[in-house]
Amino acid sequence: MADLPSDLVVAGVAPSLDETAAAKVAGRWRGSLGVTIPAALVLLIIALCFIWPIIGPVPPPTGGNILNASLPAFSPGHFLGTDPVGNDEWSRILYGGRASLEIAFAVQAIGIILGGLLGSVAAYLGGWRDATIMRLLDVVIAFPAFVLAVAIAQGLGPSELHTIWALCFFSVPAFARISRAATLRVREQTFMTAARLSGTRFPRMLLGHIAPNILPQLITFALLGIGIVMILEGALSFVGLGVPPPAPSWGNMIAQGQSTLSADPRYVLLPSAALFITVVCFNLLGDGLRARWSSQ
Amino acid sequence: MCRRGGELSSGGPLLDVRNLVQEFEVRAQGGVRSGVVQAVSDVSFTLAKGETLGLVGETGSGKSTLARAILQAPRPKSGEVLFDGVDLAKLRGKQLLQARRQIQMVFQDPFGSLDPKWSVMHIVEEPLIAFRTAERAERRSRVSEVLDRVGLDPSRYADRRPRSLSGGQAQRVAIARALALDPALIIYDEAVSSLDVLIRAQVLNLLERLRAEMSLTYLFIAHDLALVKQVSDRVAVMYLGKLVEIGPAESLYREPLHPYTVALLASIPNPDPTAERAPVTNTIHGEPPSPIDPPSGCRFRTRCPHAQDVCAAEEPPLRRLAEGHFAACHFPVGRGPNPGDAPAPAMAGGAHDAAAPN
Amino acid sequence: MTESLLEVRDLRVDFRHDGRVVRAVDGLTYSLTRGKTVAVIGESGSGKTVSSRAIMGLLPPTAKVSGSIRFDDVEMVGLAEKAMRSHRGRGVAMVFQDPTRSLNPTMRIGGQIREAIQTHEKSSRAAAHDRALELLELVRLPAAKERLEQYPHQLSGGMRQRVMIAIALAASPKLLIADEATTALDVTTQAQIMELLRDLQQRLGMALIMISHDLGLAASFADEVVVMYAGRAVERAPTQMLFAHVRMPYTRALLEAIPRLENESHALLAAVPGQPPNLALREPGCPFTPRCPSATDQCRQHMPAFEEHEPDHQWACWHPCADAVAS
Repeated sequence: MADLPSDLVVAGVAPSLDETAAAKVAGRWRGSLGVTIPAALVLLIIALCFIWPIIGPVPPPTGGNILNASLPAFSPGHFLGTDPVGNDEWSRILYGGRASLEIAFAVQAIGIILGGLLGSVAAYLGGWRDATIMRLLDVVIAFPAFVLAVAIAQGLGPSELHTIWALCFFSVPAFARISRAATLRVREQTFMTAARLSGTRFPRMLLGHIAPNILPQLITFALLGIGIVMILEGALSFVGLGVPPPAPSWGNMIAQGQSTLSADPRYVLLPSAALFITVVCFNLLGDGLRARWSSQ
Repeated sequence: MCRRGGELSSGGPLLDVRNLVQEFEVRAQGGVRSGVVQAVSDVSFTLAKGETLGLVGETGSGKSTLARAILQAPRPKSGEVLFDGVDLAKLRGKQLLQARRQIQMVFQDPFGSLDPKWSVMHIVEEPLIAFRTAERAERRSRVSEVLDRVGLDPSRYADRRPRSLSGGQAQRVAIARALALDPALIIYDEAVSSLDVLIRAQVLNLLERLRAEMSLTYLFIAHDLALVKQVSDRVAVMYLGKLVEIGPAESLYREPLHPYTVALLASIPNPDPTAERAPVTNTIHGEPPSPIDPPSGCRFRTRCPHAQDVCAAEEPPLRRLAEGHFAACHFPVGRGPNPGDAPAPAMAGGAHDAAAPN
Repeated sequence: MTESLLEVRDLRVDFRHDGRVVRAVDGLTYSLTRGKTVAVIGESGSGKTVSSRAIMGLLPPTAKVSGSIRFDDVEMVGLAEKAMRSHRGRGVAMVFQDPTRSLNPTMRIGGQIREAIQTHEKSSRAAAHDRALELLELVRLPAAKERLEQYPHQLSGGMRQRVMIAIALAASPKLLIADEATTALDVTTQAQIMELLRDLQQRLGMALIMISHDLGLAASFADEVVVMYAGRAVERAPTQMLFAHVRMPYTRALLEAIPRLENESHALLAAVPGQPPNLALREPGCPFTPRCPSATDQCRQHMPAFEEHEPDHQWACWHPCADAVAS
């Protein structure tokens, strides 16, 4: 941590003789608050959205009986009630979460892999290759991306997959930027020169040296960006694109729910609350990992 | 372990640097002019097999740039670097790679030169993997052997990360890595300067032992003249990109010829409290000039207590003034003007007959 | 008014780090007379920097300081921040190792010196400007008037360090602490700066604490030397006495590890094995035991006390070195 003077040699980990057991446990907890708790919450959310609907008693999110429409919360068999066409709201939250998370994970994954690779290669090679790649990406960024997303969705027709393609136009250039900056920093390090002098060639340099050293930053960026992607998906849904109803996603649930906002706000509040909690958890996890990795 | 391809084909020096020039651009930065800095300016010297040549210079002298230029990382602007008779500057791709096996470098920052994500075993193994020498098992045993040589017990250190090493241990890993391919020449670029005093002594002794055991040739770069003198057979002094003096270590100390060498010697803190101390301002004054716009003629003249008009007009060539001892000065210390001395062969900087160690 | 300007007695500094307690300074005692120079010598982890920061009150809030630091008859340990702020600069000033990081790159030199002046006394901008010029001339910065308008990156390392010294002298402190102030400088520049410091000290009657790892520097410039290891003082004596009659094996190891110009090529240095101890793992005995050529079981089990064993010469060792035979 930055507040220790540099001449303090604190190598290795060992308990001090005059420390109480309670202080030791407290120290360990303080460290874990940063990462363990958000990680546990994130895993819980993922389990709920992906696993629970398969193994648990969760009714399907579509094809509900219109006779059961708009039941209030805590009705028998529907503890969050039903939506205006009779679908179980709890089920829609879970399946909606699955859709939103699938999109967010896919977009970030493609971003890290494609964007990360592009930015890293650009930075490592430098020169005209760097300039070309980055200017191409600049074109993508400069393009009114929302218009682009709309065009894709209109042209291809709204679906979860097409939403993912559209949102990649945001994430790939963003990751490329981050990856390029991180790679430039790593490239300056002496161990890179040492590796070159050892005879190591480009593929191994990239995968063996650069990737492990920039991955923490990329992963942190990905986690902090999950929330943004989910909200963007919601924005797309607002204009009728994104995941097409009746299949739920948090984004399209919020979009649809606004028509009944004054009558029954729960159709907006429930997915909003779910989105909010999820985004906060991912952000805490991202922050915690960043703190842990930068102190190493 | 026998050295593959390391036997010298020629009888000449192991390393023969001729008229090496390295430049780089300096971009404008709020008031600082942009321009081209000639970090290494027409430097020539030789290094015989088994010899240790010390290279001394302060900030801006170009000593580190020189080391990197020798290794072609990046390539020098002009000049020749003959390693075992072959000009490295003309080699490309695979051939350069093969030549690089024979020359290795150890850097100043022990931690900066080790990938923080790699284990010690992996770090030392890297050159062996890159050159595809041997199978995994043989590679691993070579790594263990070389870790042992540098005083690190492989069973305790092989799986550690640099983070859990001390400065001295990290530098030993860097040395082990340099030794892995059994090179002929090792360049130490301020390799002990960041280490604590006692650890530094340990590592220096290790370097001596390795040199004797493995018949290595060293180029030892540092800013501490006492340190350099102790490990070297010959010492070269650089100032602002120029080689200003080169000669046997003992001669340089007892009979320094260049005023800058005199200043360096006078600046060394003497660990004898009773010794007489002349103010260093007798030997050098002012501030180092800008490397972008070096002084005309002799680059040291702006700080030299004996500068004359001719020093601004004419750059002094490197002249042989004693057995194996060269200096680039119009008025070498204790010699007065030397109109009779012929310039050394092969242009300024020809120290070729100093190849033989003393 | 006592003779002694600074009296450090049994100083201890503990750090809380990750829930653990690390003792960086473990009982340091020395004193400094007005106008004298003391060199505090040690390697990494010796506690020399931490102890000097304690004198300045510059330790982070995670540090716990105990013991006594009496400066000019005022107790520093436990002093309120407000009083500490006025004491800094006027009583004690510090020059750090890296002038690049201690100077604000976006502010002109003149502005930074003026800021230092105006922190400690009410003066107009013009008066502060004049004083700034005076200070730059005091530290022998060439072309002082032009330098006032320049930015730090336009100056060389040695010049920046002179500016740092000028800033430190702004409020005419009684004590100047040079914390590895020349370590990052070239050897010729280091010599120039050290001579400047000695000259200033004589002219201004200032006391000087030199923190360094370089015993050679101490030999050339200090009146007294305190050697630290693993947070403790292990030997203290006037400079000439220390070098002539080294007692503590660690001090001797330091002396023998310095490369000498007189040594022959390829001479081996008398090197001591091992490395500085882990401060988080404190053993009961003397911390130098694992590396000491004279160590015995007594050293392993009992910490030797830092005491005056010969006139004006203190050390902490069970088996001190005898006087070397004249070589």
